[in-house]
Amino acid sequence: MRVFILLLTLLSFLFAENYTFLVQPYSKEVELEAKIIAEIATASLHVKIKLFIPHMSEMEEKVYSKYFTLSPKCETANFVFVNKNVENEPLCDNANRLFFTNNYRKLLTNDKYFGALFWNKSRPNIVFIQKRLDEKAIALPKTFDQFVENF
Amino acid sequence: MSRKPFFKNPFYILVPIVVISTILLFLLFVTMKLEKSIETKIFEISTSDVFSITHNSATYIESLFKDPTNYVEDIKNNNFIQQKIEANLKTLLTPHIKYAYLLYRDSRGVFRFLSDASTLDEKAALDQKLDVDSPEWLQIYVEKKPLIIRHSLLHQLSISYLVPILNQGNVELILAIDFSIHKIEEINQIIHTIKSGIVGAMCIIFGILIFVIIQTRRFSAVRKSAFIDKLTSVYNRNYLHKYEDFINLDDYIIATLDIDFFKKINDTYGHDIGDQVLKQIASTILLTIRHKDDIVIRYGGEEFLILTKTRRDGYLTALNVIERIFYAIQENKFFISKEESIQVTVSIGVNSVPHKSRTFQEAFKLADIALYNAKTKGRNRIEIYDENENTQSTSMSLNEIKEAIEDHRIQCYYQKIIYSQTQELSHYEALLRIIDKNGNIILPNRILPTIKGTFILRNITKEVLGICYQQLLAHPTVSISVNLNPHDVVDESILSILNAYAAEENIAPRLGLEIIETEDITSREDAKSNLLMLKQLGYTIYIDDFGSGYSNFIYLAEIKTDYIKIDGTIIQKILDDKISFLLVKNIVAFAKEAQIKVIAEYVSDEKIYEMIKSLGIEYAQGVFFSIPSPLIDA
Repeated sequence: MRVFILLLTLLSFLFAENYTFLVQPYSKEVELEAKIIAEIATASLHVKIKLFIPHMSEMEEKVYSKYFTLSPKCETANFVFVNKNVENEPLCDNANRLFFTNNYRKLLTNDKYFGALFWNKSRPNIVFIQKRLDEKAIALPKTFDQFVENF
Repeated sequence: MSRKPFFKNPFYILVPIVVISTILLFLLFVTMKLEKSIETKIFEISTSDVFSITHNSATYIESLFKDPTNYVEDIKNNNFIQQKIEANLKTLLTPHIKYAYLLYRDSRGVFRFLSDASTLDEKAALDQKLDVDSPEWLQIYVEKKPLIIRHSLLHQLSISYLVPILNQGNVELILAIDFSIHKIEEINQIIHTIKSGIVGAMCIIFGILIFVIIQTRRFSAVRKSAFIDKLTSVYNRNYLHKYEDFINLDDYIIATLDIDFFKKINDTYGHDIGDQVLKQIASTILLTIRHKDDIVIRYGGEEFLILTKTRRDGYLTALNVIERIFYAIQENKFFISKEESIQVTVSIGVNSVPHKSRTFQEAFKLADIALYNAKTKGRNRIEIYDENENTQSTSMSLNEIKEAIEDHRIQCYYQKIIYSQTQELSHYEALLRIIDKNGNIILPNRILPTIKGTFILRNITKEVLGICYQQLLAHPTVSISVNLNPHDVVDESILSILNAYAAEENIAPRLGLEIIETEDITSREDAKSNLLMLKQLGYTIYIDDFGSGYSNFIYLAEIKTDYIKIDGTIIQKILDDKISFLLVKNIVAFAKEAQIKVIAEYVSDEKIYEMIKSLGIEYAQGVFFSIPSPLIDA
């Protein structure tokens, strides 16, 4: 009986990772977001992605690190995803890197961003602006056509 | 046993509980199975009004357009229409309707907003595209009817309701409302509450079921212990009292079993051995009966009542069980120590036709009469109550006897007791008779079994004493002996009558008291002292039926009896049975030594008479000399 309880305890520790959702915040939305961003980034850049997210949370770091090499600084990244609404955010320039946002208004008002992934009527929406794609010489696959807007 | 009424059998409580549990289980199953359709139904009921209002909104929006050629351009170019539409859409928003908006589909097939009722931070701009989550959206362009789209992937929306706005037969605009997940959550909450209610009710019922089962088992155990005799493990008298009304007399034959000379076993070997014998007898009976059919009850010290179930072939099978019990006991060795064993016999009376009795007690009494017959015929036998003889031998009922006392139909017949040598009259024995309503003379064998152990027997004794007293007064030279029941000797009212008679001159010396020597009389100290007191009053004491049962020579010496009457059944066999002969010879020898006079009864012919005369028995009584007569030859 003792051996059985010991084995059960050991097994519980081994599979403890599976039960961490009970104590950690739910990460399903972040997981979905990370997957989409990964799709977009790999479609936009044909080099190894070094992602930088300003003010990245611990959970985001954990989730995004499964899909990207994370960069600690904007300057060393080649893909920047701005997913927090911080006023006057001092970010590096967009000369050698792509900027993506999760805010439709930011996309419309700031030329730095070539696209946005945001929640519209509780549905995930993706928008790329054709002119900015052309400027950055980004050639997206045909499957992305439905998301490209000609402003 | 006949079936007990519903309310008397706690096991029947289980039936409705099991039925209710089954129904609840079925309900739970149905609820789980039909959860989706119940949800749909509740959703339909709760959203039908919303859908109607949405239709009204669509109709209103349609009415705003002045140019039927292009609704989209009409809206884009007309601020007034935009405001009107937005104001109308805002009226659709509720805590459950999260979004309301108007869409069109551009030439690329992309859905775009024309109007949105959302607050500023969520409001979509004019012409902003909407990535729809399902290809179902396109169906509305084919069917041109309102469409419900269920969302399984979106965790904030449950359902979208789309209403087409047609222009020249084609869908040009779509009025869409999105229900928040809360709506479905509330519906699911209702279903969950129903399910929880059913599960809760089932738990309660299940709890009650467990409780009832436990209580029923405990009740059965307690009831069983109350109805089981601890010594013998057969049912006790309580069981008989409780269930005698429920015993179906058509299903059983009734047998009463009495252990022969059980007192002797107790007196000789002690009560522990007596208890062991009882246990072994009960065990033998239990091993012999059919457990599913037959019932064994210990209703007295060494008396058992056995109910054996009859079959279609009549009572023969049941009777066979009784016979098997009888022979099993007869053949069994009852060990009183590791090496020593004794033989025990039993007398059994059987009522094979209990269904002819109105009550169990009546049927039981007939079995008891048969047992009485078995004992009087010498024990160690089975006697069956004979229905064919019942016109002659059926006992009188208590009521008939009571009526006879009240109507003064109690009589005494007198039989002479003579000197053996001279055949001259010594005295008379008074014998009980009742004249029934038809004038028939009823003998004691039809009277005594009924009144045995009742106060009527005492009253009969008083009547007989009164009659004899009158005879003694009428015939001053005659002596009469009367039969007293052992209980009479300890009865205050009878003792006071005898005291009163003794106070009169020349009554007590002429009144003999014949007492059957039984276990009762030999074991009771008060009976012994009363007999001595009666003897001192001048009464002559006779011990009746000596040799038949509890023959105790020491006792005879203690009470200083004047006469012993040797049991008639022994006298009847004296010519043929050597044991009877030796028994009589020894009794006579002892009596002579003890200076007790001996009377032989049942002297029915000359040969017996010659034999008893040769053995030196001084007195004789029997039909050879005279038959009982209502008159005394003074």
